[in-house]
Amino acid sequence: MQPLANVTPLKPPPRAGAIEVRNVGQVFRTRSQDVVALEDVSLDIKPGRFVVLVGPSGCGKSTLLMMMAGLRAQTSGTITINGAPIPQPDPDRVGVVFQEPSLFPWLTAEDNVEFPLALRGVAKAERRAKAQDALKLVGLEGFGKRHPHELSGGMKQRVSIARGLVQDPPVLLMDEPFAALDEQTRMTMGDELLRIWAATGKTVVFVTHSLTEAVYLADEVIVMSPRPGRIVDHLQVSLPRPRTYEMLSGDAFGALRDRIWRHIRKSA
Amino acid sequence: MQATLTIKLARVAIVIAIFALWELLSRTGIVNPRLLPSASDTLATLDDLLQRASVRNDLMVTATEVLAAFALAVPFGALIGFLIAENRYFADVAKPLLFFAFSIPKSIFLPMFILVFGVGFAQKVGFGFFSTIFIVIMSTTTAVESVKVEHLTVARSYGATRAQTAFRVYLPSMLPVLLEALRISMIFNLTGVILAEMYASRDGIGHQIATWGENFQMKQLLAGVVMVAAIAMTFNELIRWVETRCSHWRT
Repeated sequence: MQPLANVTPLKPPPRAGAIEVRNVGQVFRTRSQDVVALEDVSLDIKPGRFVVLVGPSGCGKSTLLMMMAGLRAQTSGTITINGAPIPQPDPDRVGVVFQEPSLFPWLTAEDNVEFPLALRGVAKAERRAKAQDALKLVGLEGFGKRHPHELSGGMKQRVSIARGLVQDPPVLLMDEPFAALDEQTRMTMGDELLRIWAATGKTVVFVTHSLTEAVYLADEVIVMSPRPGRIVDHLQVSLPRPRTYEMLSGDAFGALRDRIWRHIRKSA
Repeated sequence: MQATLTIKLARVAIVIAIFALWELLSRTGIVNPRLLPSASDTLATLDDLLQRASVRNDLMVTATEVLAAFALAVPFGALIGFLIAENRYFADVAKPLLFFAFSIPKSIFLPMFILVFGVGFAQKVGFGFFSTIFIVIMSTTTAVESVKVEHLTVARSYGATRAQTAFRVYLPSMLPVLLEALRISMIFNLTGVILAEMYASRDGIGHQIATWGENFQMKQLLAGVVMVAAIAMTFNELIRWVETRCSHWRT
């Protein structure tokens, strides 16, 4: 091959929202022993995909998510988002949605959504406008002045999602966001999330315990096993979109769910 | 806690009933009026006392001592409480010791304060400080513990600086508990200062009340009691009002 002067090898710049996990490991040191929480996890997530992490408790799926958020450091390996490592939280690249009690109860819904912008000193008028847009996107127009205790569980999680989206990051990480909701609300919120995802084109990484939820939402399901946490399967869900409630009882859906269940039963 | 009109009326009725009973017992002679002057006489005496320069001066002395002790004990205690709560090891070591110290009646130390500070301003402030600081420390540790880890993680995930985390997460989380602590601290503080005044002093309202008692001036004594009670309740209600305004979200 001829080396070309003045020409750097052309590597296409990663599109916004690409996540690369390379040989990531995590070891917790306790007084008596070292616990391997994650072992040699590698994963490529393409921009705009909806990826769900499932696995039994202790498989390290939440830990992996927190690493992608820059909230926790891995012991070994690298994680890049948009081609750059994420040693600390970067709200320009990543928005995070946590479990239910994460809204600030002393702030109104719109003040909660504005919180990330307020931290960066964005002017009040601009903040308000962006928060209104985000609340509208999650279907909570007109609820901005309410406090969290005046909202239902589902509405609170919509506010959390709006807060995660308000800075328009290419990646949205969600850590069991619907785990505390009842079954019906959970289904509705799943549909809502898919609508928001389709409207915004974000890369979504979603952690859940629920196999049904995993298959219903995902383009790809990553199945993890515990002690040490590693990836045991990577499924492509080719069910058409939009997903419907009827698909839940279909054969294709059942086959995918069974395949995940077999992995989990083996490791539990 | 929203009180309905009937509940409020019932409360007012009880207060009126107590004063009426007091008046009745004294006027009819069921209780010797020399031991228990009537409510109306007491209130008239109170009005008279408040006109006197010496009583006003005593009130000012006590107020200054109370505020000085409070202004020292609250920030100092809050700082210690915060440091204890933020450090796991320190908290494990110090907490039971604080509970031990808190359980001791502070009044038994009063003679020592007189020996160290003499009789005067420093003795009152010192004892007020000592009576207050333990409750401030313990309340502050509770306040810090009321900050939720989830909220801190959210702040971190959106890139909050230390100062932003302090003002936007710690402070609002702690505020309701801190205000409650402030209110309860003032009760301890007032008790400490007035006790110190009654025990050994040349001025202050506590000293006056003790003197009236020794001289069997029952009208003045009761008027003094009503006066101090009214001041204490007013302060208490004031903070409670701020408390409810700041913690509406806690329900």
